[in-house]
Amino acid sequence: MIQTTGVSALLQVALPNAARPAVVAVGILYFAVVLGISVWAARRTRTAADFFVAGKGIGLVALTVASVSVSVSGFAFIGGPGFIYAVGLGAMYIVLPAAVTNVMGAWVLAKRMRLLGEARALITIPDAIGARYRSRGAQGLSAIAILVGIVGYMATNALAMGVVINSIFGVGLGWGIWIGMGVTLAYSASGGILAGIYNDVFQGTLMAVASVLVFLFVLNFGGGLGEISRTILAHDPTFLGPWGKITPLAALSFFFVFSMGSLGQPQAVHKYYMLRDPLQLKWYPLLKTLGLVLVLLLYFSVGVGVKSFVLSGRLAPLASPDQATPALLLNVTPIILAALVFSGIAAATMSAANSFINIGAAIVTHDLPVAFGRRVKNELRWGRAVTVLIAIAAAITAQRSGTMVAFLGIFGWGLFASTLVPALAVGLNWQGATRAGAMASIATGLIVTLALETAAYWKVFTFPAGVTASAVAMVSSFLVFFIVSWVTRHAALAQIDPDVKLVMDL
Amino acid sequence: MTEPITMAPATGEDVTRRSALVALFIGISAIAAGYLAAFTTAGTPIWAAWLLALGIPVALGAIMILGAARGRRGIGPLKIPFAFVVVVLVIGFGAALALPATEGPLSTLWLGLPARAAIVIYGVGLLPIVVLPLAYALTFETQTLSAEDVERVRVLARENQAATDNVPREPIDDKLRG
Repeated sequence: MIQTTGVSALLQVALPNAARPAVVAVGILYFAVVLGISVWAARRTRTAADFFVAGKGIGLVALTVASVSVSVSGFAFIGGPGFIYAVGLGAMYIVLPAAVTNVMGAWVLAKRMRLLGEARALITIPDAIGARYRSRGAQGLSAIAILVGIVGYMATNALAMGVVINSIFGVGLGWGIWIGMGVTLAYSASGGILAGIYNDVFQGTLMAVASVLVFLFVLNFGGGLGEISRTILAHDPTFLGPWGKITPLAALSFFFVFSMGSLGQPQAVHKYYMLRDPLQLKWYPLLKTLGLVLVLLLYFSVGVGVKSFVLSGRLAPLASPDQATPALLLNVTPIILAALVFSGIAAATMSAANSFINIGAAIVTHDLPVAFGRRVKNELRWGRAVTVLIAIAAAITAQRSGTMVAFLGIFGWGLFASTLVPALAVGLNWQGATRAGAMASIATGLIVTLALETAAYWKVFTFPAGVTASAVAMVSSFLVFFIVSWVTRHAALAQIDPDVKLVMDL
Repeated sequence: MTEPITMAPATGEDVTRRSALVALFIGISAIAAGYLAAFTTAGTPIWAAWLLALGIPVALGAIMILGAARGRRGIGPLKIPFAFVVVVLVIGFGAALALPATEGPLSTLWLGLPARAAIVIYGVGLLPIVVLPLAYALTFETQTLSAEDVERVRVLARENQAATDNVPREPIDDKLRG
């Protein structure tokens, strides 16, 4: 939900105008580097495998940094610190799962996904589900579920890009959307995932550098974490309680949805296919976890630091919690640091958008035709065409009602989690799972998520404090998966091809 | 070294995976019960949070074991880091729920944070980072993936490729096959 919440949080924010010469200059430099990488990558993209999985030729460090980049959106820079500022340490339960999610993903999915890619030349997540259950139906259903989630993500990411670019260059929201989406489209359509990966490497590095510098600045400005805590404890001790100002159930719900749900996020899971050598997976979780910790230092330090600075009178009270990062950057930190962070936020939204454009294009040109027993003749050409269509559709949708876009962005993470985690993550590790169980689980996740999110959004129904549609949908999907697989267990082993079984046995 | 792959049903021999599946089901059921309890008209009972505090570590530990288990070999030395992390999560969540709220201006700070917050941030958020990725890397060749494993998959892939005349295989439902 880092992605969804991030985009939603950005939607709530009227980011202040940061168009100072240094910010604009760093912004222009950022876009120049992105375009340079894109031109380079476009010359190396010749096949559909290059376009969708970078020809399975990405090295360990590049893949790790890229994966960190797509795992974090603008939320880590704007919405997250604002959330901590508002509710205290309870907001940390969104990012604490990073301690286990990367290595959990490595054990549960990475090896089997990468080996399936080796055995079957697979390029998408629905490919893996189709191969596991030997089912076009399961592949098609999972493709539809991912596509529904991507619709929301793309519209909200396009709007978030517009908000950030408008803040950096002062060009207006509409132009911000078209510029951001135009640049993202340029590298998505020309260089596919190869351009995306190497831009992610640049963008992820930028985010990590910006985050570490802000973290060090806040500690120095506040006189160390101890002094910051003392100031807060003197005024608002609940803020530094283990749950902050939210209920234990709500905090633990965050932990559950963000930890278990990470196994179903296609933008991260899809990356497993791309590693050049499967044996390089050995150091992937360690590097990715360390990278995420660096990027998330800003999340914690700004949220807690700004609270302390406001309480001590060193910073004026905020108009809204989401102003925590902009207020710190534009009033306290050196302007060059502000410039780096604003470019980092743009990088985060573009990185996420590129990844989803690529996955969406693969679904339309590859998974859905396969589900209907067809093959697109030239997947590379059609992949590029669909990439353009998805980007334009997202930009147009983002220009429309903010309410509608906000609604679309709400359910992305939960939808991916509830539809994919049982069928993919458990299914690839349990030979007793059945096609019927997988399809019932995917359908349950899709229906429950959409129904509950719609009902909650339109206030037809209110959840008790601490309960979310994402969590309920994921739990329901798990239980349906287990029960239906158990009921239909007689068919389990007959539904696994020998090469898939080998991959599952290893 | 890799063990021979048998075509025998996994359910009869794979105790580790079966145990992990049972634990995963129990963990998810506990979480579901916690959420159901929140819907009661009297408000969310305190034990609902305890169900999540216990169910989440069990579910996460179980799915990691499910992914790491290799046939009859089970999880080998990984049982120690897995147990450690599950215990750390249970203790971290449990301490946050059970310890009294004593945060105030005179609180003793642990690495800059009051005790309960330090347990959560440094215990739940940082301790697993020290243990799990290193355990993964140090046991990678023996427990996760060896060069022989990769070669076996590649050999089978080449055989399949030859058999299907260089046409990538697509998933086929049994009824569609017929």
